[in-house]
Amino acid sequence: MSAAARPQAQEQSAAKRFTRIISDNRVGLLIMITVLFVTIGSLKPMFYSTDFVIAPMLTNIAIFTVIGLAQMMALSVGQMNLAVGGMASAGALATGIVLQRFDAPLVVGIIAGVIAGSLLGALCGLLIARAGVNAFVVTFAMNFALLGLVPTVYSWASPDAAISVDTPGLAELGRQTLDQVCIGAMCGPKGVPVLLLISIVAMILIGALYSRMRVGREILLTGSNDQAALLSGIPVARRLITVHMISGALAALAGIMLGASTGSFTPAIGQDFMLQSFLGPILGGTLLTGGAVSVLGTMLGITLTVVIRQGLLIFQVGVEWLNILLGLILLIALSSDRIRTVVGQRNALRQTLAKPQPPGPGAPPSDAAAAQMESTR
Amino acid sequence: MKTALSRFLHSQNASLLGVIVAGAVLLTIQSSGTFLSSNSVQTFFQFLAIPIVIGLAQMATLAVGQLNLAVGAIGGFSACFAAVLMADAGLPAWLGGLVAIVVGLLAGLLNGVLVVLTRINGFIVTLATMTILTGAQYALVGTRTIPASAWPELASIGSARPLGIPLIFWFAIIIAGLLAYFYRNALPARHMLASGGNELAATLTGISNGRSLITAHALSGLLCGVAAFLALASLPGANKSVGGDWMLSSFAAPIIGGVALTGGGVAVLGTVFAATIIRLVDSARAAFQLDPSWVNFVIGAVVLGTVALERVRATRRTPKSGRKATPPDAPPTAAVRAVVQGGTP
Repeated sequence: MSAAARPQAQEQSAAKRFTRIISDNRVGLLIMITVLFVTIGSLKPMFYSTDFVIAPMLTNIAIFTVIGLAQMMALSVGQMNLAVGGMASAGALATGIVLQRFDAPLVVGIIAGVIAGSLLGALCGLLIARAGVNAFVVTFAMNFALLGLVPTVYSWASPDAAISVDTPGLAELGRQTLDQVCIGAMCGPKGVPVLLLISIVAMILIGALYSRMRVGREILLTGSNDQAALLSGIPVARRLITVHMISGALAALAGIMLGASTGSFTPAIGQDFMLQSFLGPILGGTLLTGGAVSVLGTMLGITLTVVIRQGLLIFQVGVEWLNILLGLILLIALSSDRIRTVVGQRNALRQTLAKPQPPGPGAPPSDAAAAQMESTR
Repeated sequence: MKTALSRFLHSQNASLLGVIVAGAVLLTIQSSGTFLSSNSVQTFFQFLAIPIVIGLAQMATLAVGQLNLAVGAIGGFSACFAAVLMADAGLPAWLGGLVAIVVGLLAGLLNGVLVVLTRINGFIVTLATMTILTGAQYALVGTRTIPASAWPELASIGSARPLGIPLIFWFAIIIAGLLAYFYRNALPARHMLASGGNELAATLTGISNGRSLITAHALSGLLCGVAAFLALASLPGANKSVGGDWMLSSFAAPIIGGVALTGGGVAVLGTVFAATIIRLVDSARAAFQLDPSWVNFVIGAVVLGTVALERVRATRRTPKSGRKATPPDAPPTAAVRAVVQGGTP
């Protein structure tokens, strides 16, 4: 299901490995995406049009993956960030103001927006970790506050409550595809938006954080069992703040990407982010209880929802059916997850009963402990 | 213990009441008396009825340590479903009102059954049902608005003003009173509070946590249905936007009113008072001609302030027990956990 359970897999036979692969969320998602993609495409060949369908779809995937990663950060410690939408709009606002008022170069604007998001996230983290207030309430109230604050600042900043800037590079970043970007005679593939590169960089960084860096391991252990983490000397409070800071930064980045892709920064940015942000990680196999994440799964989960959305659009089915479908998929995915856990536990029980000897004193190491051992190896 | 608790509740309610009085006085002075005119008072209470009921709907789930993101979606869907039946199928108005309430109850029941059967976090289950019901509501009515003239009997309830105060506000108050009585005296309510307070202890006492969760979600859905009924009675028509802004305010009222998110406690009077405060903020916003988004900002700040303040108060009262770390898995807990897992498969 995630990177955490890898060591045991090596000892398993080929058949078992096969069932493992089949029961992996990500493989299931990949199969569903492929089937949908081929089915929709063979019914409506329009679906394969690079300019009108593939490129917008990949842009959506790029933006929603980043917002999914923002939620995944909070989920990895067993908490939630209900303010992803608010933080995204605040980040886009900060970028818009810096670009418009100070004529700053694009990079400075983006960095300002991301810093604004991470500060908001850090504020949430501080309240959660130091004041001990429930993460749900803190991020919920933060979303409320931003929902009020951001439109007000927009109406101060510009008369029509939206900021449109023509900073050099913004349109290229937001709306060009790779075939328009050439280094010498080499041009990129057609239909791949530049924004996707940002999203891939974000995925690699977050993936490296969780699988290669000490901080990421400490975050996972905190999410898995915070008492145990505290007793083994991990600064749990500081890790909670780190998590919410990165979550805020990613949310802001997604808001800026959306602003760049539409060409203007408006208070409407981030309004439909919350459901998407939960769908990606949950479909991808990130546990709600914390302690396990899947970066690739988050991307695949988002891809599935975007393909469904695009498919409904191309069949000219109303958008209301998208909501009904997404809700049903969420329920079915989680129920099947539950069934899988129950079946897995039953099988494990049967195996331990069949074995003559238990594996020595003490309980078997949990997933997080196994992950910890792996990282120290 | 009980007197300390009731004293605390009393003090919280007293301070909420103080805020209400101060706000009302401030608004009266600002409007040089027109705030207290019968017209303005009627409008004030007319738009207070639904916030109270949806705040109580959220409180019902918070009491068992769950939450209901689908408050607005259930309300909006029930209202639109009943409206379509009355306008298109010629259902009598009284039956339409009943349908709205029953649909709400069924949706809540579905939430509860899903939470218990799948053992998925209630947040996610209600997020999913919220998405589904919002989509279904839009699929039902689309872009049209069904005018209230299709249900004149219900609309006459909405415009009735016994004793100079809207009838729907009296409804809301009666519902709050019934709930307060229910939580104090009825056995299922005490079971819900026990489950919310300590799941393990409740199980060992012989209370079914699953049943408590289902009851709580069903009660929440029922109240959403009642809110849908009130919306049908008081709004000029039903369309896709009914219930759209209920979810956020439904959380604000119980949280400001002193309901713990961890479950185990309710504050009916506090929720009613807090809903009144939010209504006052909205009135003030209108009086000072500020942008509507300011209300959200103020509510967000107040929610955060309330929770942080309460936390500070709690840690000051018990300086030591708050920070003490319990050993992660002491033997008795492990034994108890085994019992629980054996008890509720």
